[in-house]
Amino acid sequence: MLGFIIQRLLQAVVVMMIISVLVFCGVYAVGNPIDVLISPDATQQIREEAIRTYGLDQPLWKQYLDFVGRLVQGDFGRSFVFGSPVLPLILSRLPATLELTLVAVVGATLVGVPLGMYAGYKPDSLAARAIMGISILGFSVPTFWIGLVLIFIFAVQFGILPAGSRGETRELFGISWSVLTANGWQHLFLPALNLALFKFAMMVRLARAGTREIMLTDTVKFARAAGESEATILRRHVLRLIAIPIVTVFGLEFGSTLAFAVVTETIFSWPGVGKLIIDSINTLDRPVMVAYLMLVAFFFILVNLTIDIVYVALDPRLRLRAAS
Amino acid sequence: MSGPLLVVEGLTTEFPTRAGIVRAVREVSFHVEAGEILGLVGESGSGKSVTGFSILGLIDPPGRITGGSVRLAGCELVGLPARDLRAMRGREIAMVFQDPAATLNPVLRIGDQMALAIHAHETVSAAAARARVAEVLTLVGIPDAARRLDAYPHQFSGGMRQRVAIATALLNRPKLIICDEPTTALDVSVQAQILTEMRALARDTGTALIWISHDLATVSSLASRIIVMYAGRVIEEGPIRQVLSAPGHPYARGLLDSLPAKAVAGKDLMQIPGAPPSMLALPPGCAFAPRCLRADGACDAEPAPTVAGDRRWRCHHPHAEPTS
Ligand SMILES: Nc1ncnc2c1ncn2[C@@H]1O[C@H](COP(=O)(O)OP(=O)(O)O)[C@@H](O)[C@H]1O
Ligand code: SF4
Ligand SMILES: [Mg+2]
Repeated sequence: MLGFIIQRLLQAVVVMMIISVLVFCGVYAVGNPIDVLISPDATQQIREEAIRTYGLDQPLWKQYLDFVGRLVQGDFGRSFVFGSPVLPLILSRLPATLELTLVAVVGATLVGVPLGMYAGYKPDSLAARAIMGISILGFSVPTFWIGLVLIFIFAVQFGILPAGSRGETRELFGISWSVLTANGWQHLFLPALNLALFKFAMMVRLARAGTREIMLTDTVKFARAAGESEATILRRHVLRLIAIPIVTVFGLEFGSTLAFAVVTETIFSWPGVGKLIIDSINTLDRPVMVAYLMLVAFFFILVNLTIDIVYVALDPRLRLRAAS
Repeated sequence: MSGPLLVVEGLTTEFPTRAGIVRAVREVSFHVEAGEILGLVGESGSGKSVTGFSILGLIDPPGRITGGSVRLAGCELVGLPARDLRAMRGREIAMVFQDPAATLNPVLRIGDQMALAIHAHETVSAAAARARVAEVLTLVGIPDAARRLDAYPHQFSGGMRQRVAIATALLNRPKLIICDEPTTALDVSVQAQILTEMRALARDTGTALIWISHDLATVSSLASRIIVMYAGRVIEEGPIRQVLSAPGHPYARGLLDSLPAKAVAGKDLMQIPGAPPSMLALPPGCAFAPRCLRADGACDAEPAPTVAGDRRWRCHHPHAEPTS
């Protein structure tokens, strides 16, 4: 197991190196930040000076090596726009996205999996049809549209929930969290619901398909023949057997939402990294973009590694393979 | 208590399918005495498993028992409420299936999944359940059982897994265990071991067995009485010695002639010509007629059971006249 983790971490280093090259070239290709940063009527002298201070006069490979050189010292560079170091800038926005993502993905799983299991257990029932109807809605209606509808209904029409911002926060470990205050939860609710709907739909489908399949197996028949109750069978046998695909989707959804909650964060003016990255693309703030994308890649590697470790915990058959 | 342990009378089980109604079990009647081993033989598809599941009330909808009765110690099981049936399963009648790799839950520890079968019927402490599991595992010949409770099914051989399944069936000391081809998926040498062990177990615990097999040889080494099924019907019943020495029904005779032990060296085994009929298009009258060398016009009418002493068969032109 330890050997497996070390092997995966070494792979991760290689992957990060490749990604750093891709990201650097990709961001370079997006456009020239000087056009955005400096007003068109600035003198040629100011222009050239700016180009020099940002290191943009160097050839691409030199810029890349400088970047990597600073990176290994933990320095992601300074934002062109804010002038401050990039890493603290991103990290200051991360908790807002993190709590939004966690609430959305965990909520979607906790609600979606039991409902999906029920829909798979009694596929012909009225409730199952209703659950599947909602999940189709979650799949097919665009996130921004649902976001606007939620704001319209809950904030505008009934005025029971706020339409934006994080609300009150409380400090924990030197970081402010909305989930620690009642008012924060009120602000969190609509954007989290907006993000959760698609994930909920996915969890419902996954749990339903898995349950339907497993209910037909001899494992379930044997448990029934031993007199085990349907509740025991669903909780102890079926849930354990469908856990693996659910963990996979949970991890990937968590990673991708953390990285790309942009639409929801924009609609609900949620001050997370999604908004930061959109702004940095608009201003061609290269250091922010590069650092952000590197961070996203790192998250995904972390998520995948965690998923693999959880697999081994969930499926004893994999333990032999992991050991060898 | 007087009278047989289990009485099945006129049992009929149907599955509505898109192609038509499959009458998998048709007016099946037999009984099992307490502590007795009854053999149930027939080709694949003849309705043996469906008979077993019907007794336990485990027919998957839309399939259902459409007629007849199953009485356990005088108590009617057909039409019993679901919760009473569940309480009966495992405690009064248990079942073991063909493929232990498919019946045991691959992601649960042996001790834990067996304990579920105990907790289905009794509230006992986890420690007490564990102790009983270890005890029964030892009983079925698993060495060092107490130390292997935390193992997973894949860490056991096929034979050991089937012993675990048998132990699970024995946990609640049922009066009857339906063994649905429990050795078919195993190596020949393991088959013989398990047969010997089961005979001893049944004798020592006083448990009655219905031993289902498509293989007459297996059954003849174990059972004291035998019933033979063809196309959903019981076509022959009797004490094993009498049926083997003088089968009445031409199909039972054919099965006997195709046993390797009966073959004359250098000559091909006798095979019953033709194939079993489709359950969707049964011939009128005797279902065996298309394959029967003795068939004539009389066989266009369904033969009624002929009863003589312990023996019974359904044939217009049997090989042996019933003698009592
Ligand atoms: N769930 C089901 N739906 C439709 N037909 C079924 C179902 N289960 C069994 N059958 C049919 O019932 C017949 C008897 O099956 P079975 O009892 O499993 O035979 P076997 O004697 O091999 O155990 C077969 O023709 C089979 O196709
Ligand atoms: S009833 Fe007729 S066809 Fe059927 S087994 Fe007897 S002789 Fe053969
Ligand atoms: Mg079968």
